[in-house]
Amino acid sequence: MFEITRKILQYPRLTQNYPQNPPDSGKFACAPVIDPEKCTRCGECVERCPSRAIVWDKPSGAIGINYDECVFCTLCEDVCPAGAAAMTTRFEMAEKDRCALRQNALVIDEQILPDASYEIISSELTAKIQKIFGRSLQIREVDSGSCNGCDYEINALNNPFNDIERLGIHFVASPRHADMLLVTGTATRNMQLALVKTYNAAPDPKLVVAVGACACSGGIFKDTYATNNGIDCIVPVDVYVPGCPPRPQAILYGILKALDKL
Amino acid sequence: MYTEIYEKLSELFAADIKKKPGSRADECSMYANPAKIPDISTYLYTALHYPLVSMFANDETALCGQYAIYYVFSDEEKGVLVTLITLIEPADEEFLSISRIIPAAALYEREIHDMFGLTPVGHPHAKRLVFHSNWPDGEYPLRKSFDGKQRLAFAKETVAFTKVSGEGVFEIPVGPVHAGIIEPGHFRFSVAGEPIIHLEAQLYYVHKGIEKMSEGQSIERCLYVSERISGDETFANSFAYCRAIEKIANVQIPLRAEYIRVVFAELERLTSHLGDLAGICLDTAYGFAAFQFRMMRGWSYLIADELCGMRFLRGVNKLGGVRKDFTAGRESAVTEQLKRIKRELTDTAEIMKSNSMFIDRVENTGILSQKAASDLHAVGPAARASGVRSDVRKSFPGEAYKRLDFTVPEHNNGDVNCRMNVKIEECFASIDLIFAALESMPSGKVLEPVGSVAPYMSAFGITESPRGENIHWIMTGENNTIFRYKIRTPSFCNWPAVCHAVKGNIVPDFPLINKSFNLSYAGNDL
Repeated sequence: MFEITRKILQYPRLTQNYPQNPPDSGKFACAPVIDPEKCTRCGECVERCPSRAIVWDKPSGAIGINYDECVFCTLCEDVCPAGAAAMTTRFEMAEKDRCALRQNALVIDEQILPDASYEIISSELTAKIQKIFGRSLQIREVDSGSCNGCDYEINALNNPFNDIERLGIHFVASPRHADMLLVTGTATRNMQLALVKTYNAAPDPKLVVAVGACACSGGIFKDTYATNNGIDCIVPVDVYVPGCPPRPQAILYGILKALDKL
Repeated sequence: MYTEIYEKLSELFAADIKKKPGSRADECSMYANPAKIPDISTYLYTALHYPLVSMFANDETALCGQYAIYYVFSDEEKGVLVTLITLIEPADEEFLSISRIIPAAALYEREIHDMFGLTPVGHPHAKRLVFHSNWPDGEYPLRKSFDGKQRLAFAKETVAFTKVSGEGVFEIPVGPVHAGIIEPGHFRFSVAGEPIIHLEAQLYYVHKGIEKMSEGQSIERCLYVSERISGDETFANSFAYCRAIEKIANVQIPLRAEYIRVVFAELERLTSHLGDLAGICLDTAYGFAAFQFRMMRGWSYLIADELCGMRFLRGVNKLGGVRKDFTAGRESAVTEQLKRIKRELTDTAEIMKSNSMFIDRVENTGILSQKAASDLHAVGPAARASGVRSDVRKSFPGEAYKRLDFTVPEHNNGDVNCRMNVKIEECFASIDLIFAALESMPSGKVLEPVGSVAPYMSAFGITESPRGENIHWIMTGENNTIFRYKIRTPSFCNWPAVCHAVKGNIVPDFPLINKSFNLSYAGNDL
């Protein structure tokens, strides 16, 4: 007992007070950016991007990255002959509208959508959510087919450095107790039913946050016989958090964005 | 080495085996008569004591008109992978099962059936493995004729679980969505009161079709795919992938790159084990120790950030070495952080082990017997805690590990306590390995770029991931693409071991036993 008390006094406080204080992000390798001034439009990165996330509109010369599909692999930085592509330290990337993450428009193939209707959150519901969830939030995490990197980063939200409970947010064991679903993974064929059942079991009003490239768009696992191109083909999504995996602070940013606390 | 093993086998099976041209110093491959596979396998397994480390099929109909099945055995002493290849006529669609002789073969054969439609004749439990009830019968994704992008309509097949009957026996289904922040999987417990009589796991909920997806893709793109098989085994998987391609391309990677890879591999092992220890403590409600380990894991992530800016070590490995000279100029920062972790780990382990309530929970819980561990080819810390001595870093070391001195922990009781002790000792060994690697690292370049690879060549890449032995097999295709990518992570071997370890234990101990193995569902399901 004495030893435990000694340890507690040795490390009185580890928590980094994010979002009030910005973290020391100097060493983070996060959002890649292509500088259109330096870019020679050689097309190397566009062709070799593992998740085909870089788009170049040849007529206008516009070039950019669709962050909902980017897997942050660093290949564009490596292959660019002009040094125009580089990884930056920006990790606060979550957006409510998937199109805000994209360079070009999103085209959804009719065939990908399931027969059930697509629910759209209206602005009245948004105001109600802030009133109800303003004090505390219960989150249910669902892995619908990820590599477990995003799950480990979500787990890291509970460690002494991030301590998400200081913000009134905590993880629950049952979707019936949940206000928000934090979903990782591409909604694989075998998990589709489980994801839908979990979504239906969570009582209204509820929010869904898609964490990671796989949940936003299918990531590097797009277009296979066993995956879907993002969980928004199966359940409606309120906030998209890009990353592969996104840092705990980036996920926290996304959760707070969903609550309109930012 | 190659010739020794081949000659020994020729003495007994001369008419039934034929050397495969183009083998390597650490890989001995031969074609075998499909009818004689049970006999040859029995000899390799029982007489030579070679474990079966992998088994998979390949649709080679475009190359030689047949399906090929590869049986991979390992001679750990000599550091050679011995592969038997049998060719199956497409019209036959079946092969002789060896599961009754080698229990470890059972899951591989079920996987081959689901993905290729080849039936293992004589298999004791031929049930669907990869596909659940939604997959229509008669569709086999890894056949070249199957279009990997098509999404088939959902079917309603029946997939039954083993039923245990008796008075007072009932079933508890758990999952796929679990109570904590964890990957999905379904467990069907048959219990009589509290003690578990039988556990059947249904996995493959996160099956994404990675192997099919890799076919026809560039060798460059598949490096990034290999990193994303399992998040916390990123480095070990990309390392195995690189090793295989570097062998095929016949590229000798610079020695400094080998040492840098050791630093990252051991950092990944340290991070993973600290997380496992936190999990074990959390499941015994020992909050203080759990958060101590989480603190140390956070410090370990700081080292990852310091070296490469990525907490999961993505974007480190490159074909031919590593992407940058990550350790240059950072040795002292890393060493300071590691010394802090080492001091804290020593203190925490001492406090933890002096807590009698905690020790009472972990001692003699979830015992995996040595026989079960060796029959199922359990790997990694779980096997080493049950008396099965094997570590890829000793048997297939590569240029850097063979120059570094380290001990692999050994325990024999096979309970949660032993697995925990193996992990604690491996943490200390990893920290010391990183110190040694940083100190004795030679200078020089860190990348020998891999240009093009010849088509239809194959090689194995084998590494020791935090969970155990990790084997990838690659066959290249035309124009620097992948023809077949067979991934076998350590979790695939260890899941059946979990089902054995829980027998006789009470249901509340299941999360603790599961956490003590800490297997990856994604690494198993692909």
